[in-house]
Amino acid sequence: MVKKKWTSLMLIVVLIGSLLSACSSSNSTTNPPKEQPKPSDTKTEPVKENTAQTPKDGGVITLGTFSDIVTANPLFASDTSSGDAINLIFANLYDVDRKANVVAEPWSLAAELPQISEDSKTYTIKLKPEAKWSDGQPVTADDLIFSINTTRNPDVGSPGISSFDKVDTVTKVDANTVQIKLKQVYAPFLYSLRLSLIPNHILKDVPAKELKKHPFGADPTKTVTNGPWKWTEWKQKQYLSFDADPSYWGAKKPHIAKVVYKIYADQNTEVQALIKGDIDSVSAIPVTQLAAVQSKENLNVVLAPGPLYEYLGFNFKGENFPGNVSLFTGEKTRQAIAYALNRQGMVDNILKGTGKLMNSPFLPGSWADPGEAAVNYSYDAAQAKKLLEEDGWKAGADGILTKDGNRFSFELQYNTGNNRREQVAAVIQQNLKDVGIEVKPRGIDFAAWQEQNINPGKYQAILAAWSLTDPDPNSESIFSSKYFPPGQNAGWYKNDKLDQLWVKGYSVVDQNERKKVYQEIGKEISTNLPYVFLYQYGTPQGLGPKVKYAEEDKPEPSLAYGYMFRIINWWVE
Amino acid sequence: MTEFLIRRVLQSLLVLFLISIVTFGLIHAAPGGPTQIFLSPGLSQEAGRIQAHNLGLDQPVYIQYVRWLGGMLQGDLGQTFKNNLPVSEILWPTVQNTVILMGVAWLFAMLIAIPWGIYNSTSEYGISDQTASMISYIGFAMPVFWFGIMLQELISIKWDLLPLSDMYTMGKEGDMGDLFMHLVLPVSVLTLGFLASYVKYSRTSMLEVLDQDYIRTARAKGMKERRVVFRHALRNAMIPIITILGLDLPILVAGAAITESVFNWPGMGRLFIEMAVAREYSVLMAITVITAVIVVVGNLIADILYAIVDPRVQIGRKGGVSS
Repeated sequence: MVKKKWTSLMLIVVLIGSLLSACSSSNSTTNPPKEQPKPSDTKTEPVKENTAQTPKDGGVITLGTFSDIVTANPLFASDTSSGDAINLIFANLYDVDRKANVVAEPWSLAAELPQISEDSKTYTIKLKPEAKWSDGQPVTADDLIFSINTTRNPDVGSPGISSFDKVDTVTKVDANTVQIKLKQVYAPFLYSLRLSLIPNHILKDVPAKELKKHPFGADPTKTVTNGPWKWTEWKQKQYLSFDADPSYWGAKKPHIAKVVYKIYADQNTEVQALIKGDIDSVSAIPVTQLAAVQSKENLNVVLAPGPLYEYLGFNFKGENFPGNVSLFTGEKTRQAIAYALNRQGMVDNILKGTGKLMNSPFLPGSWADPGEAAVNYSYDAAQAKKLLEEDGWKAGADGILTKDGNRFSFELQYNTGNNRREQVAAVIQQNLKDVGIEVKPRGIDFAAWQEQNINPGKYQAILAAWSLTDPDPNSESIFSSKYFPPGQNAGWYKNDKLDQLWVKGYSVVDQNERKKVYQEIGKEISTNLPYVFLYQYGTPQGLGPKVKYAEEDKPEPSLAYGYMFRIINWWVE
Repeated sequence: MTEFLIRRVLQSLLVLFLISIVTFGLIHAAPGGPTQIFLSPGLSQEAGRIQAHNLGLDQPVYIQYVRWLGGMLQGDLGQTFKNNLPVSEILWPTVQNTVILMGVAWLFAMLIAIPWGIYNSTSEYGISDQTASMISYIGFAMPVFWFGIMLQELISIKWDLLPLSDMYTMGKEGDMGDLFMHLVLPVSVLTLGFLASYVKYSRTSMLEVLDQDYIRTARAKGMKERRVVFRHALRNAMIPIITILGLDLPILVAGAAITESVFNWPGMGRLFIEMAVAREYSVLMAITVITAVIVVVGNLIADILYAIVDPRVQIGRKGGVSS
């Protein structure tokens, strides 16, 4: 379950890559105005066509998607489609607001925010007594305890297991109250509490290893749920349908009577279906087709970038380089590369304005965004050359820089078929050539790339992305030297100061205290540059004319699943 | 004939066995495994190992193969790794959908192409022949997906005459009229593709036969041209055409991935690509084996048809054709 907390980040290159790769098309003339990232800037394109005042009950909304679900069992879902379905049929213990703060909404299972003990290690959670499963059974403390303990059990094979690896004990206080004790203070744990529950009364006797084979989550009639809609049909590879659950316990009921989740094999066809009116929402319009959708008056495009960013990652392990020493060891060298890259040009020309520059691993506008504290490297080839010279690089006979007998030439890897990365790699190649560095871009099949290069940390430089599906800013697992390969710190980056700061960042639960730490991290990481942070980017959402919502319920692209943010309050006309 | 059939079936079984070993080996040798695709990055190494063990993926490849073969021989195609769905449940509906789509297109192409090709052979370089050549060039040269997109854009979106994609309108599953409407566009695209080669083949093959001495003799006898063409020439001309049709048979099941994707047709071509990306070994193996079976059967059928159209072809004799 992506919306649950597993590690703070995950590599999502496949999906997003394939989304944005497609045949090239004519240049869009409808680029939106460029904006500098500002704090609190979660602005989307005007959504006036879809905002309205008086909700109507009934009707059908059809959401388009590009892949079938794997399972509707919250225990095993880790892909976007499964997450979409689960969001419709299961209530979460907690939800997040537009600013990604954890909240207990009227449709959340928890009655109020958790009470955190003095020592910040014990969380006491109260469930709403009226919450019910679709078979009429109440949602109780037993369900919550069972859900957490099952997820934690390695025999089960839940992808959510790491969300709860800091949990020591889970105990029942009364029928609606649970106490979770952590082994250590761990602030990001709060986001792990956005989980969906599984029914204890249905699954408690199923052996851990057999859970995956249980029809719960595979057969709509055997999937007991507790969300606004119930699952009625799964036509594999074609569509799923969900009907508003008449026995739904929430005080706020869903307006839309039926949600159809329709699967398309081809992105072009999916967008055409939106244009024709076969479907009412496309969660990811390929950049190449953006102009076609924007030109239709009755369609609305939500343009703001999503919770993911692309980076140029350096490798610091010497044995990956011919001279047995990484070309990127000098801080000034890395800064020079950052100066040499025309990042704004990439955003304007390749992303067609659907991206925003990033200078640190924190989303612009989020509470942890260090803003000005992070160094912004504007495109400046002269400055780059100066820094390279200061770091001891001298032009060789062929114009390429050398230092201690090592020629500054490296291979830049990315996954083939990803049109965006192919183009960005070409820009990087050209930009760095201008300052005397030779780049050899190389596309590799994604699966092979991950297995042979990323997991073992064997490459010189990569062009890749991280998805911040978890709003918590903690990124220890990709930057700390505790997580060298096969961990996620694939570039073997080591910075003692940062190693300590990451720990400090999650060892205090007060958000203002944490904010200070992330400011410091932002400053240090943007100076020391394990990556050149390129840009936050996204997959614009397209909405048809039928879909309506009030201003406060509009989609929120900066959140995972933000394209169906507060869909319980949407309606169709 | 019986002896021939038995020999061919035994040969075929051996071929299938070899194909399955090679495919199994290749699929497993490809970088990236199912665990990598479906296990999330958050899963610890230890938890990953437990899962790989539960799925039998930690066993040596030959043991996995023997297990797979054992299941296969008992009619069990296995389950998907990702969500434990029985492979047969995913596979059979898609096979049917593909056979409907491809079968209609193939039948259409054949019914148009063969008579047309024959006619064109009798009036070489006439208007009809030139038109057929033109269509063939277009059919060969134009990328299928592009033609599909153009049809969608024009007929479905601009004029709103036909549905854009899918097999049925939702809620109308099984409605023949609805299915027909949905078939028109993808069948047009596929028919054009088939047509391009079939017209050419039947024309060329007829021309070759019409050039033979025995045709001249027949004409010299004062036989009517109709009778010459249909009675004498056609039978011989059919042999190469049958070969092509036999070779194309597997496509009817394997499907056309691109057309199926563009028209969102829930068929095999799409499934195969999806499953290859997901490294769903059991589904891939099932598809490979089915396709291999059809290839073998297609060849067998072609062989038998030879004997029917040309009695001189004697199946089972060494040397094959004897007179």
